[in-house]
Amino acid sequence: MIMMKTILSCGIVLMAFGASHAQTTRQASSTAAELPAFVKDGRIGYVMTDRHWAVYQTEDSKAECPLGFNDSPDDRFKQLYSDEGKKYTVVDTLLKREGENWFPTNGPDSFAFKEAAGKIAIGMNLDGKAKDNDFTSPDGEQGIDNQLYRAIGCIQAYRVDGLDRVTINRSLLREPQDRILIEISGVDSLSNDDDVAVRSYRGLDPLRQNATGALPGGTQHIDERWGKFTQTTWKGRIVNGVLLTEPADWTIPDTRNNDATSSLTLKAYRFRLRLAPERAEGLMAGYVDIDEFVRHLNQVRSTFTQGVEHYAPSASFYRAMRRLADGYLDKTGEMTAVSSAFEVKFTQVYIVHPPAQAAARH
Amino acid sequence: MRKHAHEQSELPRKSSAFACLASAALAGLSLVTPAFGEGYRPPVVELEDYERVPLPTGFGVQQTDADGPVFTDARGMTLYSWPLELQRNGNAGEAPGRPGCDNTRYTVNEKLEGGPAGFILPEVDTRPSCIDLWPPVYADENAKPVGSFTVLARNDGRKQWAYNGYALYTSILDKKPGQVNGGASRTYYLTAHHSVPRKPVGPPPNVPPAFLVRTVATGRIILTRDGSSVYTFDRDGPGKSNCADACLAEWTPISAGSLTLPQGEWGVIERSPGVRQWTFRGEPLYTHNLDRRPGGLEGSDVPGWHNAYTQKNPDPPEEFTVQDTSIGQVLADRNGKTLYVYNCGESTPDQLACDHPTTTQVYRLTICGNFDATRCNRTWRYVPAPANAASRSLIWRAAWIDAETGRFVDEHASNALHIWTFRDRPIYTFALDARPGETRGDAWGEDHGARNGFVAFWLRDDFWGGAK
Repeated sequence: MIMMKTILSCGIVLMAFGASHAQTTRQASSTAAELPAFVKDGRIGYVMTDRHWAVYQTEDSKAECPLGFNDSPDDRFKQLYSDEGKKYTVVDTLLKREGENWFPTNGPDSFAFKEAAGKIAIGMNLDGKAKDNDFTSPDGEQGIDNQLYRAIGCIQAYRVDGLDRVTINRSLLREPQDRILIEISGVDSLSNDDDVAVRSYRGLDPLRQNATGALPGGTQHIDERWGKFTQTTWKGRIVNGVLLTEPADWTIPDTRNNDATSSLTLKAYRFRLRLAPERAEGLMAGYVDIDEFVRHLNQVRSTFTQGVEHYAPSASFYRAMRRLADGYLDKTGEMTAVSSAFEVKFTQVYIVHPPAQAAARH
Repeated sequence: MRKHAHEQSELPRKSSAFACLASAALAGLSLVTPAFGEGYRPPVVELEDYERVPLPTGFGVQQTDADGPVFTDARGMTLYSWPLELQRNGNAGEAPGRPGCDNTRYTVNEKLEGGPAGFILPEVDTRPSCIDLWPPVYADENAKPVGSFTVLARNDGRKQWAYNGYALYTSILDKKPGQVNGGASRTYYLTAHHSVPRKPVGPPPNVPPAFLVRTVATGRIILTRDGSSVYTFDRDGPGKSNCADACLAEWTPISAGSLTLPQGEWGVIERSPGVRQWTFRGEPLYTHNLDRRPGGLEGSDVPGWHNAYTQKNPDPPEEFTVQDTSIGQVLADRNGKTLYVYNCGESTPDQLACDHPTTTQVYRLTICGNFDATRCNRTWRYVPAPANAASRSLIWRAAWIDAETGRFVDEHASNALHIWTFRDRPIYTFALDARPGETRGDAWGEDHGARNGFVAFWLRDDFWGGAK
């Protein structure tokens, strides 16, 4: 009897909520005329069309890389194994390097790794503090946490003309397995809204694009069959046209043009995106696990590729990351993750949610 | 999701004889009974039919577990060729009419895959030559061409049989008829940057010109000539389609021309006056309008619909499972941990494999544990087989291995581990995979796991063909 009463009571509350919600919806619809046409039922979708690790760089690079850029794995190999007349073995050279890359350690390193210098970096203040090793953003925001920048800032592959961003973005534009969607729901206004939700998906359709890039107005079906691993929800708000979310863990597909099935888990990642009806751009920031970052790098960029695309020697890069780690203590008291940020761009798309019947198939 | 692997595989739902009878009756023709080679019979319900091509004396055709019918020598051993392929810096393999596998013992690596060259190869003093591992199929001095089989002159003065111009070899890893341990007709990696493999050679499948057969992870799948996957429907009757009206919005019957004739297991039904549809083993055939790419398996997600195969692979060990991942499905152990295979090929002109317990183990030890066998066994774990493990197929086998050396050993050896093997090579799980469906070890190693490394045991992918 008590349970029945509870159910009835809940029912009344829900009915009341329903009536209230309907009223709210009517009120929202009265403002819907102010919303751009791309917002349907309080939802707007975007597809990621550009993502690269945030690297602050000056024109001549002298401020952030006063010692120059890091040697590539190929440069390093030549330094170690090119004594005239000496006979080297595959085991002591090529295989030794592979073994070190796949099982990196935090031990001593003869490679002089060049970290980015200076106090300016792009990123977000992840912990709400301004610490000694934090950066200042180019527009003066204090407390920027982006220690990954120290590690990658002087590696050519990660800079503006580097191939890391080229391969990521080529894959974002071409490969459905790397298609990342976000949908903002509960949107009453793209200018100010104190309560919205953001959910990520993998999309399945080719992008609508021309020679200048992705165009708004495309359609994306959600990959409900295999893509659930990348579905995450954030609570957020829109302030003066900027979407701000709380942090959440998020695994993103990052296969780099079919070379590996690897994905990358982002820890406590949050968005700061300037919204427009047709585009959104800004930052995603949080932490990356160091072991996973280096494993993922080795999987999507082979040792050969890391050489020709001017990355740094993988095992030395790992040591640098460990030195710079600033998040996620493990049981031994070691930090296991490093603060980081992506610069990202999105283009508006219509996201098609699968009908219940199709979802039920799986 | 967790399914036992033998539940996942789609055994045909109607008997072959029934299907053939229906097909033949509808076609008004007498039955054509496939004639298969003597020797091993794969433990599957249906075997692939093939075109009867003229063979040199002593040659035969043998059914296999995963590669369809293959040509064999007089001992019944599988024949292989080594077609030329592009590497990053040059080619490897053999051009038609140009056998290149000889008794040269290479001592240093080459720059074929782009890395530094001229370094002394592992275990160079005992490194075999190409023909030590790949005995040429020699021809008599007076041998004459037979059909597509021709006779080539080797540089050592001897004659060698070739098929479609490519020189033929056997593999020393094959010990009995039906084994295909030397190479496979499909690849077990995603990337193009692998050593150039030897491939089994066989007769063309007996399919009408409108169709193709392709080897995928689960068997020999039927495609239309333009690459669309072919499906059958449980609710169809023998030689009768029950897909109409709304069903046709998602499925397209594969039409047969008005002059099309039935062929072997392939028949034709008349859906409506003047509209004819292909059947295979009595079942009407369709394509799936919503498949996103050629060779897709997406239509099989729809209840009652199945991809059509000329022959499915034998079931893996009963305790194995199938798991959903981020791009498709993998084979997994009883706990849902993804299984992996190890690939290895040397960067030398002879492209010798280093992926088998009989080859040098130094490459594997590098990638699985930075030269440390203990770390290897902790990171990349052999898959234990029960003491009473038995396999009816040749492709799955329980074997004894020394975990320290990575070599096959006698069961009484002190370090002997009883493990599962696939194609006579160990399979593995990866320590960092914590949950079913994780594939953190996929593409682990040189060149995304293709040249010296591990890749997941893909059964299906819906994005780029890793399970092709």
